[in-house]
Amino acid sequence: MDRGTFLIQSLQMLIIVGVITLVGNTVGYDFGIIESIPGMVMIVAIGLISLVASREIPLRLPAFAYAIFIATLLALPFSPTQEVFLQYTDKISFLATATPILAYAGLSVSLQMDRLKQVGWKLVVVAIFVFFGTYFGSAIIAQLVLMWQGLI
Amino acid sequence: MATEDPGNSSTDKGSDGEQWDPIRTAGRWDVHLKAHLAVLLVVIASEAIGILSYPVGPGQVVLLPLLYAVIFGTLIGFRALGAVIDPLRQLVPESTSKVATPMIVIALMPLGVKYGTLVAPNFYEIIGAGPAFLAQELGNLGTIFLALPIALLLGLKREAIGAAVSIAREPTLGIISDLYGPDSPEGIGVLGTYLTGTLLGTIFFGLLGGLAPITGLHPQALAMACGMGSGSMMTACSASLAEVAVGVSPDQVLAYAATSNLLTGLTGLYVVLFVALPLVNKLYDVLGERLGGVA
Repeated sequence: MDRGTFLIQSLQMLIIVGVITLVGNTVGYDFGIIESIPGMVMIVAIGLISLVASREIPLRLPAFAYAIFIATLLALPFSPTQEVFLQYTDKISFLATATPILAYAGLSVSLQMDRLKQVGWKLVVVAIFVFFGTYFGSAIIAQLVLMWQGLI
Repeated sequence: MATEDPGNSSTDKGSDGEQWDPIRTAGRWDVHLKAHLAVLLVVIASEAIGILSYPVGPGQVVLLPLLYAVIFGTLIGFRALGAVIDPLRQLVPESTSKVATPMIVIALMPLGVKYGTLVAPNFYEIIGAGPAFLAQELGNLGTIFLALPIALLLGLKREAIGAAVSIAREPTLGIISDLYGPDSPEGIGVLGTYLTGTLLGTIFFGLLGGLAPITGLHPQALAMACGMGSGSMMTACSASLAEVAVGVSPDQVLAYAATSNLLTGLTGLYVVLFVALPLVNKLYDVLGERLGGVA
C-alpha cells in the first residue's frame, strides 16, 4: 500500500473507530457525544501521526508506543499544552477506548481456528503457568525493589 | 511490537502491504459496513451491561465491558456461531474478520492516547520508581522457572522450550519461528502460548487483576506486572486492578501498567533473544533428564 493510500485509509478507519468509541462513551459512561468530539479529534490526529510514524521511522516501534509517547509529551506537567489537552480528552472514558479494540480482536479470532488445532491441551496448561509466572515474577521483583527504595 | 494483539500473525510482519490491505475501502464499502456495524453493536451491548464486580474473599472478580466485547466478538465470528447460524454468517462473513485484524492496531490509538494522558501527570513518581520499573522487566523470566518444569512433567519435549520461554507475543513468535522454524517442536510450543494468550489472555488477566491484591503484594508492584507487552492484556489487568486497588489512585495504577508495558515493548525482544532463550535451553538440559526423561 503506498504512502498516500495508507494515510487516507488510516484516517477513514480512525474516524470510524472514533465514532464507535463516542457511542460507547455515551452508552457506558454518560458523556455527551457533542462535548466529546473535540477530544476525539485530538485523539484521531495523534493516532494518524502515530500510525504514519510507526510505518516510516525505521525503529520498528509499534504505533501504540508512539501514541502513548506523543500524548505523554502533550500532557506532561511542564507542557504548555497540558491543560487544554487534558480538559478535552477527559471527556472520553479510558475504558470506552478499550472496548472497540477487543471487539475487533474477538471478531478476528475466527481466522486462527485452524492453527488452534495444532495446539494440544498440554500447551494450553503450560501457557496458563506462563501467565502466572510472568505476572508474579515481575510483581515480586517490583515489590522488592520498591521496598528497597523505601517507596512502599 | 507491544501492539501484538489477537489476530496478527507473524507472517504478516514482513510484507507491510498485505498487512494493511484489508482496510482498503475502494469497492469494499459493503464489507466495511458489516464489519464496523458488527463492532458497534458489540460495543453498545458491552457498554450497556457495564462494569460488574463480585467480592471473592479480600479480592474481587471484576468484569469489564472489554471482556464482554472480546467474548461477543469471538462468538459472532464465521468459525464460531457464524458457522452454525446462517444469517449470522451472511451478516459477519470471513471478510469482516479479515478487516478486523488490522483494525486492532488502529483501534489501539485512542487507548494509547488515553494512556499517555495518565502517564504524564504521574511523570515524577514514575521517574522516582525507575529502578523498580527496570528490574521488574527481568521478572518476565519467572515464566521459565514456573512453566518449564510443568511442561516437562506433562511429558513435553522440545515444545517446552517454545512454550515456556516467554508470554509469546508477536516479537517472540517471530524469533522462535525464525530460529527453529514454524513447524519445529519449538515453533509449535510458542504457537501454543501465543494462541492461548490471544484467546484467553484478556479474560485471564482481567480476572487476575481483580484478585491479585489477595497476595498482599503492593498495588504499585502489581500494576507494573500488568505491563507484559500486550496492549489488551495489560488493559484488562490494570483496569481490573484499578477498580479494586486500595491506597493508590486508579490513574496511578493505569499509568504504572502502561509505562511497564512500554518498557517491555522496547526491551522485550532483546530480553527474549539474549537472556530468556539461552536460559530456557540451559534449564531444559539440566531438568530434562530428571523430569521429562529427555536423554
